Amino acid sequence: MTAYLFLAPALVFFGTFLIWPGLSLFVQTFHNGGVMSPAVFVGTENWERTFVDPLVLKTIWNTLRYCLMAIPAVFVIAMLFALALNSIPVGQTAFKTIIYYPTLQPILIAALMFTFVLHQDFGVLNIVMRAITGEPVNFLGDEDLAMPTIAMVEVWKGMGFWALLFLAGIQNLPRDLYHAAELDGAGPVRRFFQLTLPLLKPTFFFSVTFATIVNLQVFDSIFVLTDGGPFHSTASTTWYIYRSLFTFSEPGYGATLSFVLVLVVLVLTAIQSYAFRDKS
Amino acid sequence: MNIRIWARSIAKGALAAPAIVGFGLWTSPVHGGGHVSGDITMIKGPHSADEARFEAMIIDDFKAVEPGVNVEFTTYDWANMNAELTAGFASGNPADVLYLVDLIYPNYAELGALLDMSDLVNSEEWAEERALIPEFAWDLARQGEGTWGVPVLGAVYNIYINKDLLAEAGVLDTWNNSYADMMDAAKKTTGDGVYGFSVRSRTGDFAFWDWFPYIHNAGADILTDDWSGCGLWGAEAATQFLIDMHEAGVTPPIGSMSTQEQFDLFKGGRIAIYHGETPQIGELNANPPGFDWDVAYAPPGEHGQTVMGNFGILSIASASPNQDAAWEFIKHWASGPQVGRFAEQVNLQVVREDIVADMFADNAAMRKVQQEFVPRVKGIQPHPQILKILQSIWPVAEQAYRGGMTGKQVIERMCAITDEILG
Repeated sequence: MTAYLFLAPALVFFGTFLIWPGLSLFVQTFHNGGVMSPAVFVGTENWERTFVDPLVLKTIWNTLRYCLMAIPAVFVIAMLFALALNSIPVGQTAFKTIIYYPTLQPILIAALMFTFVLHQDFGVLNIVMRAITGEPVNFLGDEDLAMPTIAMVEVWKGMGFWALLFLAGIQNLPRDLYHAAELDGAGPVRRFFQLTLPLLKPTFFFSVTFATIVNLQVFDSIFVLTDGGPFHSTASTTWYIYRSLFTFSEPGYGATLSFVLVLVVLVLTAIQSYAFRDKS
Repeated sequence: MNIRIWARSIAKGALAAPAIVGFGLWTSPVHGGGHVSGDITMIKGPHSADEARFEAMIIDDFKAVEPGVNVEFTTYDWANMNAELTAGFASGNPADVLYLVDLIYPNYAELGALLDMSDLVNSEEWAEERALIPEFAWDLARQGEGTWGVPVLGAVYNIYINKDLLAEAGVLDTWNNSYADMMDAAKKTTGDGVYGFSVRSRTGDFAFWDWFPYIHNAGADILTDDWSGCGLWGAEAATQFLIDMHEAGVTPPIGSMSTQEQFDLFKGGRIAIYHGETPQIGELNANPPGFDWDVAYAPPGEHGQTVMGNFGILSIASASPNQDAAWEFIKHWASGPQVGRFAEQVNLQVVREDIVADMFADNAAMRKVQQEFVPRVKGIQPHPQILKILQSIWPVAEQAYRGGMTGKQVIERMCAITDEILG
């Protein structure tokens, strides 16, 4: 009984803010309306529509494509920053602040800043591209480049967070193992691949899972920079949920798409848990 | 502020005062005067950074005649208007008075969130005011059996021309005689970092506004006259013309620039024929570019020469507990002196015909838009699904502008999408 009493606050919290909304959302998938008008039961109509709506598959693919671009890129860059920061003997705090700065920027500010980077005429990146190839690049207007460009903006914004997370992981690794490896003649590259990376596995598991969950919900940068265009090439699942709920006033369909996203997150998290399982 | 509108209003008041005193009865056609009370809220998207100040002027004037009503003004963000308004309606406590554009109000009306104002706007005491608003504007406020608001403001989607560039190319007087002349002008003015022609292309920029005059001039519309199906048949050639413009290399790279970025390029003298919207006139007047410019509209098509306009109405939430006060405030807001002053402050058009002659005395471009363009306006069809249809079909045009599709194929695909949405 005492145990249940101690658990009660947490159970009430999760029940109120997680389980009840989740159940309500699931019930909503079998209804139309329910936000501004009374909910009307429509059976599995919304689910059936999900399977035939070509935009659903496109948004899921776009979202996965974005994750495959953004997550590895931000991890590699963040790890390089973490290793660099770890090797700085003086002024580490100042560099940490500088690297973390983009993470603090609201997406609207980031979008405005990237206008000066990507703009066809005066964008810094396009000035460089023109100097190299003679032609500017239509970063956000080209269907093949728009999503990588959004991933680039998100990587810029996220690298500070992941760099500090990896740095914290690196700084908590046992020093004696590194000393032993050095005595055995292992160089920095070997120490990184055979000590640092394996020892950071728990950090990576958290990072990959967390980054996947967060990036599968990518919305604000897409909303601000492309609004899903050009012709839906950057439309993410969350963007489509937003459209369904608020632009098209279809809460039932939006709820169903939300559930589809939850299922995608669950499947990917399960795969990651399996991949990172402790084989020992 | 337009002094003449105010002067006329004051003069009218001075002339009317003896009669009012004589009869011992206030008979203003605009609003009742002191017979309602309570607190109401108004929500509106901002048309200016000074929106709150301009609204405060209207509210202060209202307070003078309806001292028992307190009006609280708040804004929604245009980009998130649907989300914010939906949240307000869903809360059961929405704003009493809502400024809604013709793209979004039909859906709220269909969902029962708005008060059918038919009885109010058709009442005898307001008949004189009602008659001052032209029928095309009322058509935009009607959907189904109801009238869902009082039309007050409009934003015309006009063309801006760089007269110097067109004159240099020898096409200043001919560029909008026909689509062929427009193409010719665009080609002749393109070069040396100058683009001859620009229209918006992104769905997020509501690019369909720039496309509308071309399909309207072709005699087509999004829906058929009875709104039962796709009405775009007939717009194939007009759409092909815009595709050809993009393929001719006379436009900025498709999708590379937002509305503001294209406008910046125009201000820099690097676009000859630019599709924009009238509030930009304010910026051009405040910071005159280094060239001669003018406002214009698209060349005539087979079925006319229209201008696209996007209109706003003042509605009352059906959940409003104080609809009488809300109606009094709307009558005040929509009255000539108030709406006229506001339109001049934010560079928008009015729909009332009685104040047009006095407006924009010092603003030639706005006067031209108000007096010449507004009568040519053909607005959208306020179908409950119109926003969904437009946002669903536009990616087809976005793709077509990049090549690989004909105007006929575009219309076929758009109609398939439209008919599917309409069921």
